Amino acid sequence: MLLALSYNEVQDAKGSFMILLQNWLLAAVTLYLLFFLLLLVFRFAMLLLYSFMDHLETVYKVRETVEYRKDSSLPMISLVVPAYNEGLVIQPAMRALLALDYPNYEIIVVDDGSTDDTYEKAMGVAHESVGIEVRVITKRNGGKADALNTGMTLARGEFVLNMDGDTKLSRNTLRACIRHFENPKVGAVAGNVKVINRENIWTQIQALEYVEGLAMARKAQSFGRVVNIIPGPLGMFRKSVLQQVGGYDRDTFAEDCDLTLKLLMRGWHIEYEPAAIAWVETPSRLLDLLQQRYRWTRGILQATSKHSHALWQPRKAGINCYILWYMLFEGVMWPISNLAGNLFFVFVGWQYGLTQLLFFWWLQLTVLDVVAAAYCVVIEEEDPSLIFFSVLFRVFYINIIDISKFFASIEEWRGKAMTWGKLEREGKL
Amino acid sequence: MDLIDILAQVILITTIGTMVFGVGAYAAFKLRDRRQPGNSRSDETMNAGGPLEPVFLERYVPGVTTDPAAQPVPDDR
Repeated sequence: MLLALSYNEVQDAKGSFMILLQNWLLAAVTLYLLFFLLLLVFRFAMLLLYSFMDHLETVYKVRETVEYRKDSSLPMISLVVPAYNEGLVIQPAMRALLALDYPNYEIIVVDDGSTDDTYEKAMGVAHESVGIEVRVITKRNGGKADALNTGMTLARGEFVLNMDGDTKLSRNTLRACIRHFENPKVGAVAGNVKVINRENIWTQIQALEYVEGLAMARKAQSFGRVVNIIPGPLGMFRKSVLQQVGGYDRDTFAEDCDLTLKLLMRGWHIEYEPAAIAWVETPSRLLDLLQQRYRWTRGILQATSKHSHALWQPRKAGINCYILWYMLFEGVMWPISNLAGNLFFVFVGWQYGLTQLLFFWWLQLTVLDVVAAAYCVVIEEEDPSLIFFSVLFRVFYINIIDISKFFASIEEWRGKAMTWGKLEREGKL
Repeated sequence: MDLIDILAQVILITTIGTMVFGVGAYAAFKLRDRRQPGNSRSDETMNAGGPLEPVFLERYVPGVTTDPAAQPVPDDR
């Protein structure tokens, strides 16, 4: 309403961009969006810089340690696979595990009270195993965190690899991750996650999102050993570290993010391994995608809230303070500013005929997206056609996702009840 | 009208369209979420303590019936 009241006041400016500075409210929003834009450019620049430095470091390290250890001296790794109603995908996921290139590992499948044939199918693959111990445990349904804790308790390995029941791991996963633990300060390693079902526009854009999120943000964080989310589909931990922090808590809907923050708060280093790849099936329908993002947004806010004491203690919390602020920027400030920017420029274009402003706003964000996409595609040796989807990402995708994030943040703030919202699998593994 | 003006109009319409679509999609997601079977009114017998009795069937005891129509008819012949 205040913006509307200012209409007469700014009419005299006759369509000049200067009208934005002649009213205090318009000026305040304009200055805020400029500040946000600077922050965004700074973030992109920093992430690109640190991500590239991490890339160089990785290439250099891999060359240095081509032969890590003799097979007989490699430590045992326990693979924990929580599964709830994964009947469609559990068999290909388990068969990929049986084909891993590593001499000393066991597989523990925890059926979390599935109502379908997950247990029977998992048992079927367990009988196929030759030489690799596979244990299939069924329990009363208690949620993913509970299933992972059960698996961790039963694990006999010095290291534990946690994954999802709908995930297919690349053959080199264990060898690629284990070498990071040569450094005794490293408590966990986050793997690379890629989309396997690139079948329509939604999944193609998500494929690009995953590539960008990991090759840029995760890699940059890895340079500082402060990866802020060990993804659910692939994370390797020292078992002793998991025990030290008490395993997974059940009070958030982003148990992977919560556990990662617990590790960081205790001072453990967390690295990212791009060569260890987890192939996952992503939602191919819009409503399923919104359901997933709704849970992620609220889960990350819950995890951040649990550790919020570090937000206000920069001296004590050190880099963890920065990590939490960064998460709030990505989870709350970015979507809200993006929506605010769009609404503001639509209003200005509609009222004052300054539609070019919206176009320039959109263009500069798209340029950032395209540059980031091109860099990530090159670094990850991905399909170049993904770069094209960065334009579509900005044209419509991010608006829809940001609206969902915005409402999810409001519902989290109001403390509205929520459920896990299990996605229907399509069996594309 | 130059190219930038045309592109600006396209972006304006697309932005308004996707934002309206986004709100609609979110409303549809919430509507679908609310209709999950787990949120519907539960069966009152679900939490009943002790041995459960069948709700719709009367227990059958051989030789005992209360229905007159089911009583054996005396043979008049």
